[in-house]
Amino acid sequence: MSADQLNWLLNLFLSMQLSIAVLVIVSIGLAVVFGMMGIINLAHGEFLMLGAYTTLVAVRAGLSLWLAMVLAAAAVGVFGLIVERVLIRHLYGRLADSMLATWGLSLIMAQAMVLIFGPSTQGIATPIGNIQIGSYSVSYYSLVLVGAALLLLAIVFWVFTRTRYGVMARAATQVPEMAAAVGINSDLINAGTFAFGSALAGAAGALLAPLVGVMPTMGQAYIARAFMTVIVGGPGVLSGTAAASVLLGGAENIVSYLSTPFFGQGALLVLAIVLLRVLPTGLSGRWQRQL
Amino acid sequence: MNRESESAGTAMQRVGGRLSAELVWTVGLTVIVVVASGLIPEFRALQFTSWAIYGLLALSLALVWGHGGIFSFGQGALFGIGGYAYGIAAINLSGMTGETFSAMIAAVIIAMLAAVVLGYFMFYGKVGDVYVGIITLATSLVLFTFMSSTAGPKYRVGNALLGGYNGMTGVPPLSYGLPGSESTPLSPGQLLAFTVILACIVTLLVRGLLRGPFGRVLAGVRENELRTQLLGYDIRFRKLVVFAIGGGIAGLAGAQHAAWALFINPIVFALQQAAVVVIWVLVGGRKSLPGAFLGVVLVEGLASFLGAGGGSATPIVLGAVLIAVVILLPQGLVPAVHAVAQRWIPWLRQRPADIPSPEPANIREVLIGASGNRHTAVLEGVDLRKSFGGLMAVNNVSLAFRDTGVHCLIGPNGAGKSTFFNLLVGRYRPSSGKVLFGGSLINGLEPHERVRRGLGIKLQVASIFPGLTTFENLWLAAYARLRVTATATERAAQILDWLELRAQAGDAAGALSHGQKQWLEIGMVLAGEPTVILLDEPTAGMTKEETARTAALITELGKSVSVVAVEHDMEFVRQVDVPVTVFHQGSVFARGSLEELRRDERILDIYLGRHRRAIA
Repeated sequence: MSADQLNWLLNLFLSMQLSIAVLVIVSIGLAVVFGMMGIINLAHGEFLMLGAYTTLVAVRAGLSLWLAMVLAAAAVGVFGLIVERVLIRHLYGRLADSMLATWGLSLIMAQAMVLIFGPSTQGIATPIGNIQIGSYSVSYYSLVLVGAALLLLAIVFWVFTRTRYGVMARAATQVPEMAAAVGINSDLINAGTFAFGSALAGAAGALLAPLVGVMPTMGQAYIARAFMTVIVGGPGVLSGTAAASVLLGGAENIVSYLSTPFFGQGALLVLAIVLLRVLPTGLSGRWQRQL
Repeated sequence: MNRESESAGTAMQRVGGRLSAELVWTVGLTVIVVVASGLIPEFRALQFTSWAIYGLLALSLALVWGHGGIFSFGQGALFGIGGYAYGIAAINLSGMTGETFSAMIAAVIIAMLAAVVLGYFMFYGKVGDVYVGIITLATSLVLFTFMSSTAGPKYRVGNALLGGYNGMTGVPPLSYGLPGSESTPLSPGQLLAFTVILACIVTLLVRGLLRGPFGRVLAGVRENELRTQLLGYDIRFRKLVVFAIGGGIAGLAGAQHAAWALFINPIVFALQQAAVVVIWVLVGGRKSLPGAFLGVVLVEGLASFLGAGGGSATPIVLGAVLIAVVILLPQGLVPAVHAVAQRWIPWLRQRPADIPSPEPANIREVLIGASGNRHTAVLEGVDLRKSFGGLMAVNNVSLAFRDTGVHCLIGPNGAGKSTFFNLLVGRYRPSSGKVLFGGSLINGLEPHERVRRGLGIKLQVASIFPGLTTFENLWLAAYARLRVTATATERAAQILDWLELRAQAGDAAGALSHGQKQWLEIGMVLAGEPTVILLDEPTAGMTKEETARTAALITELGKSVSVVAVEHDMEFVRQVDVPVTVFHQGSVFARGSLEELRRDERILDIYLGRHRRAIA
């Protein structure tokens, strides 16, 4: 194998890692809210967009990028808490209605951002440089994103297995009546879960901001893929999302790489629908572990 | 004329009367619009045309979601597919044919096909309701990205450039003419008249479809999918049909819209467009067909009013309207107004439907059916095994049930009797072994296919259509078998009398007492003229009197057909006094009459959890 071919393969491998990492980052928050609460948050993309704008504003105000990202996650988490208290809590058990209401919210949020910041794309400079692999150039930042995806997965795992809240939240998901009977306050748990999922969405927006640029419609670009990942993943919040990201992200990337991103998107959709035809409950539907 | 055909006659007249009243309304409205279309200014005519087109799109969602129970966000996408299909067909063909109506028909067919493909994966994949919503939404969004990236001359179909984000331009208007000659486009007034007439025709056709048996079965699917399936209806197919029809209507609207606007761009696939369709229908009322059009007029009227002021706030207002309607008025405007109107205007109140009083039927006659050519079948499980993970829930069970008589399956919790029952029903596939029915292998058949072959299934929790009347419940069950409206009505009435539920015929089935619900379900199973009836705990949660009545009903059934009952209640087993099979740890443990089994110490051990005494 010549050095060129080797470089080509290495580059393909790295760009595939990036695709998978992006899918994990954009869908993990959605997976938490859907898997733990059974609420489909159609404003997830706009929560992500809100995280990106928070990062943008914080960086312009002179904060360091990394600090701005943490701030963005926290800010969107608080925003999510408010949304849950005002809107979502009226809609538990009304799945279709919760989708419609969050959809309304997404329209309002996207347009509000247009009114505040204007419709154009605004960039945040990619913080660190590139590495050279033969004739290919790969940004260090994409390696950071791969690390960030792993970090987010680790955080979710830690929160749901090692904290009091996480154990109670899982109990409340599995047997709500029993959880209530042993004194778990599901109101509080739900508010916490929605805020946690929102914070993850905010972190996703913050992480993607330097990569793609910030604009009011950026949420829409990711939401379809995020939903497909979560559905194909199935009930396992962590394992399902990770597995679905690998499959869908890998397929999208290989097809994009060999043809155009246009067909990559198509491949993702087709693969997702075919997978659901074969495994209607998702990849993790028959797995024993429930996280 | 005897009494029953007389009452059937008046029922027919009433339905006819209602339909013709609707026809008068619609024709009247059409005449007004056609006359007005010549008088109003052109820009108004164009605006009203677009509202009528959107109304058609909203109608497709009211049909698919409100009546079909399919939570589709994809109507906007099918609308877009129709629009692009019209554009491509019209640009390429109108030069030859001299008109564009054929392109419109092509667009309807293509949108319908797209809906069939998407629907096949969703409904035959048994994807859950919510997932349907997300898959349709994601499909629209992917189409949006897809069509947006088709800029440049290489993306073309014949002479039609797809045009990327800016869309396809130069779409020919709706025009008529002869092949080879110059085509004549419709004037704005003509276009309005044509659109409104077409919308009225489609609405009346949909209304007719929903009034007929297809619509009643759809109501069943919406109310209780499982029960509808267990009556022998193929719900996947029905959902696919309704989704395809909805897709065709959305495609028709899309074609008309492309012809009206003279271009089409990927915005039709965007989230906001998909949202707007749902908002129209929500505002009007999910199930209301006129509500679809009213929703469009209200929301678009509001939007165009706002558009004159601060246009950029429109999405915010739409979003707020969506949230407000979901929280404050979940049923929509038309049903809410209708409910208020009914209170004040007695004429609007629904009158109970006439139910014929047929000659009381012998239950044997009902079971054997009008045709009489019923061959007795035997249900048999051979070497059946079913494991869940490492647990062998049913281990090597062989059991055959005779052509008549009642047979009880008993056993402690976890003995495997319910799993065995579900293997017979078809909700589980056996890990190994065979299920035979009338001598043929039915292992791979879906429950509804087994029901069609003569299996009657009653699950443990009363599974009825709570929102339909008692009579409608029985009618749906009878129609599943008979497929003739009038005969099904008569059969339903006979069973109603047999169950002694005539007084409750017009009540919502959900309001019946617990025992009455169970009997109603037994009656529904009976209406399917089964040869073997499977009952899972028919007396669970019943009072003593109700249990006795149920035992009597089941004993009577056992004289004509084979009845297999899984039961916990020993009182019931004692009353029916039939052969009993005891399950224990996944296997058949003992068989015999209850008296014989009562003398068996081992069975008392199982039930009481006693340890075996050491045999000296």
